[in-house]
Amino acid sequence: MTPRGRPVGEDDLHAHIDGQLPHDRAEDVNAYLAAHPEERERFSQYAAQRQALRAALAAQADEPIPARLRVATLLAEQRRRRSRWLIEIAAAVCLIVLGGISGWVARDLTSPRGSLPLGAVARMITADAIAAHRTFSVEVRHPVEVDAAQEAHLVQWLSKRLGRQLTVPDLAAADFRLMGGRLLPAEDGPAAQFMYENGNAERLTLYLRAGIDGETAFRYHEEGGIGAFYWSDQGFGYAIAAKADRDLLLRISEIVYQQTPPDGVKAKIPSAPGKAS
Amino acid sequence: MPTPTRTLLAEASRRPTVAYCHDGAAMRDQPSLIEAHIPGLRRFACALLRGDRQGADDLVQDCLERAVSRWHLRRVEGDVRGWLYTILYNRFLSDKHRQRRRGVHDALLEVAEAELPGVDRGQDWALEHRDLLRAFAALTEEQRSVLLLIGVEDLSYQEAARVLGVPIGTVMSRLTRGRERLRHYMNSGVDGRNAGLRRVK
Repeated sequence: MTPRGRPVGEDDLHAHIDGQLPHDRAEDVNAYLAAHPEERERFSQYAAQRQALRAALAAQADEPIPARLRVATLLAEQRRRRSRWLIEIAAAVCLIVLGGISGWVARDLTSPRGSLPLGAVARMITADAIAAHRTFSVEVRHPVEVDAAQEAHLVQWLSKRLGRQLTVPDLAAADFRLMGGRLLPAEDGPAAQFMYENGNAERLTLYLRAGIDGETAFRYHEEGGIGAFYWSDQGFGYAIAAKADRDLLLRISEIVYQQTPPDGVKAKIPSAPGKAS
Repeated sequence: MPTPTRTLLAEASRRPTVAYCHDGAAMRDQPSLIEAHIPGLRRFACALLRGDRQGADDLVQDCLERAVSRWHLRRVEGDVRGWLYTILYNRFLSDKHRQRRRGVHDALLEVAEAELPGVDRGQDWALEHRDLLRAFAALTEEQRSVLLLIGVEDLSYQEAARVLGVPIGTVMSRLTRGRERLRHYMNSGVDGRNAGLRRVK
């Protein structure tokens, strides 16, 4: 029996256990519950569940906040990304303007790659690597020009064409074995592609360009389901491409980085990979 | 008027240098205004993802990155908490199909085992909570999000409706149905029921 006011509804009863009941409804709701023991029982069970759920999930909220979720960290990362982006935009604008003025004349005087910002080179090579991966990784009959059986010949041939001594990384640690390699045309010179395959017939390619200035950290880029890590080191630009997740690609990139070039063992990884840029 | 100008300049120079500063005062408070809600956001994300803690922190990071870069876009009068939960929930929804492809996470049970030690609180307590979390994980995503926002995160019905982007009546009916289903599970032996549900997926 409802003594007075509006009839009590389900919403009032929920609001009651959620502490959201307007003050002027409290009396009606209490009277209703007093008169309806089975409803009182139902809602006291709801209230108990509510309390238990809070208790069961409390541990997550009590944990210390991990560093990567600190706002200061996120702000710093955002500033870094913005300034890098601005620099690259500015560099690109400068290049377009310069290019317009100097035209073809400048082409013979300066190497265009030397004047590009590192980020632009990285993007260009990564895009080439992904395109080359897309083209040749699906080849059934001729995935490679020279197969792994003639590895010595392959290395000698590609080294000669790229003008630098190459090493073929051994990816057995990641369960990938060398299938072979091929020579590809690139912007202003040749590029080499080594192809690897694992037991599940998943293919991975290492794309290599010589004559790349500067040293950069791993950069990740993904296009049409193919992911690639790019970095440059000691005159080479490297890109590892595959239809694989980022973690696997990173692990393989680290293996390749450790093994190339042949002179000397490396102690460190260039840097932790940033987010996709 | 020289004096006010000087005061203004002095004030401005004392301000921490934050780039893209649209509303100075609120900007200065940004870290503390946001960070106050991180524990709750992590709890909400973790329960939404049924105990996938790594995924939950990724989701929270994604949410915070968005919040930081869109700080100037939030409604000035609106509260930060509701805004953060809205961003998080929207990210959750847009990631959902990806998670579904990766396979359903059923880690809430493991969380229950790991997070609820029976030693100091008593074995019954741990078991009961584990059962509850298991039953909770079997609710629909819509019911779970309503129960979490209202029952755990203490949002008002109105705020929850805004976060979820549904009318308040929908919130109430999801709340009613979710609570009743949870009660039903708890009263009728969770184990048998839930195992069946999980097998069906």
